[in-house]
Amino acid sequence: MEKSKAIIDAHNVSKIYNPETIPVYAVNNVHLHIDEGEFTALVGPSGSGKTTLLNLIGGLDKTDSGNIYINGIDITRLSAGELINFRLMNIGFVFQSFNLIPVLTARENVEFIMLLQGTDKKARQQRVQQLFREIGLEDKIDSRPAQLSGGQQQRVAVARALASKPRFVLADEPTANLDSKSAANLLDVMELLNREEKMTFLFSTHDQRVIERARRVITLVDGAIASDVSATPVLQTTER
Amino acid sequence: MIIQMAWRNIWRNKARSIIIMISIAIGLFAGVAVLSLYKGMMKSRIATVVNAEIGHLQIHDTNFKKDYEPEFFIADSQYVHGIIKKLPEVKVSAVRSIANGMLATPTGSTGVKINGVVPEQEYQVSQLKQKIKEGKEFDPGKKNEILIGKKLADKMKLKLGSKLVLTLTDTASEIVSGAFKIAAIYQSDNAPLDERNVYIEIDELNDLLGTPHRFHEIAIVLKQDKYLDEVRGHLQKQLPEYQVETWIDISPEMNLMVKTTDQYSYIIIIIIMIALAFGIINTMLMAILERTREIGMMVALGTSRLRVFVLILFETFFLTLGGVPVGILSAWGAIQYFQKNGLDLSSDSEEMMRSFGFSTMIYPEFPAEQLAGVLFIVVGTALVSCLFPAIKALRLKPVEALRR
Repeated sequence: MEKSKAIIDAHNVSKIYNPETIPVYAVNNVHLHIDEGEFTALVGPSGSGKTTLLNLIGGLDKTDSGNIYINGIDITRLSAGELINFRLMNIGFVFQSFNLIPVLTARENVEFIMLLQGTDKKARQQRVQQLFREIGLEDKIDSRPAQLSGGQQQRVAVARALASKPRFVLADEPTANLDSKSAANLLDVMELLNREEKMTFLFSTHDQRVIERARRVITLVDGAIASDVSATPVLQTTER
Repeated sequence: MIIQMAWRNIWRNKARSIIIMISIAIGLFAGVAVLSLYKGMMKSRIATVVNAEIGHLQIHDTNFKKDYEPEFFIADSQYVHGIIKKLPEVKVSAVRSIANGMLATPTGSTGVKINGVVPEQEYQVSQLKQKIKEGKEFDPGKKNEILIGKKLADKMKLKLGSKLVLTLTDTASEIVSGAFKIAAIYQSDNAPLDERNVYIEIDELNDLLGTPHRFHEIAIVLKQDKYLDEVRGHLQKQLPEYQVETWIDISPEMNLMVKTTDQYSYIIIIIIMIALAFGIINTMLMAILERTREIGMMVALGTSRLRVFVLILFETFFLTLGGVPVGILSAWGAIQYFQKNGLDLSSDSEEMMRSFGFSTMIYPEFPAEQLAGVLFIVVGTALVSCLFPAIKALRLKPVEALRR
């Protein structure tokens, strides 16, 4: 089976809560294929399994069945320790509630991941400068998270996600706590990075502003993919 | 950056961190205070044993101490005393005739140890003169004077000037007795000794015993404690027919007390540390529970569990580091003060302290040589205490932590 061309390739992935009492299929037999450079939104009502699916793809949670290949590696077979290292080297995360380390400055938050990776100081500094230029927060580089607005924090979180030059970025409801202007700014940044750095983004959202700017929209209902609509290069729709 | 994060993390909740630092400081203060108090007490007790009771060394006929029979006196008295006086390490020495006997008054009697002394020598060796609470030292112009301890005076209801009779067995195994008048009542730090020992002039005891110009014991005080083994060895070599004993040989219970006190003080410190450990566990657990989401996020991003563990370890280490200097400095300051002015326990426990031979005025001494041990216990306690919270943090599943 050809799997290596996709960055994310999920096969028959299921996640069941309470399997021995009243089983709840948070993710139900999902097949998902995401290629490099995609800008994909995972949408659906609350409880539809968006976050669970992102957690499974990000190696933060274990599948109950199925396999998830990231760049050809089946992450469902990795140990907890291997997964931590795998995430560090391959996946960028943007969480819903900003989630910057409060005791570190914006620069240190971004640099933190590169330090974990063992990147040398010069390369770290160059990358940090470049990322802060791209997210438009060069003047806030030495601010602590508490000194930044929600939108600014989320942009720093995006910079942090990209700092390690991951294979792709998973963003869980990145605009959920942002006002319209901040959300638009964040989306501009993500689109720019997607375009300039060819970075693959997969984000869960039910924010219409985000959905409108996604080039592919996957809808989840009760843990299963209900639709998969691709807007580029040619609009393709697959109803399930 | 982990170290930097740990340092900044402890200041996220200043009040809590300062409280735990103060707890560590108090724990350390208490530990050092206990050690210094015991060290001061033991040093004072040893000083009392050496300078006011036994001396550093004593020399007897090898048979004398079996039954305190008066015939076992030091035969070559002038020769022996001459050897001792020539030693540069010897500060003072005193000769004594000793007999066990009965002290009788019109109202009762009790067994006593009768010490026949050369007053001027005895005043230097056992500080008998300084211990006198009522009356005056031996008057060379008067005969049949006796010095008794306060404890004995109270027990036998004797006062200054009271008369009493000492009865003892002489070298011919005859019962002999002599009447004495109380010239002075002394009080030392050792009530049991005060109750048992009476002092008369050596010639008067020798007259009763029938051993003129003899003595049974030579007590020696050295210029420094460190000469003890050297002088003992030298004297034993020079006087092989006599028994040369150090204060440790004569009072092994004192030596045992010194050694066990160290152990007791460490037990007390460990008890203090157990209490402290719960404080640290509580604080670190709170700090981790508050940051569950943050730690989960760090692990999600790729921070290894070892790094999280090291982070928590450093946080605890910094808290300890904050408390340690404060604890040591405050203990040092307090000890300096009490070392100079003394800690007077006479109001609370005079009777009890004296019954065990301890002075009621304690001069604590900073336990510099034990400080490393105490520090090891404190830092070890702190680091061990953080293990439980750290393990709790390590067990956090990022996906669950991020939901909080």
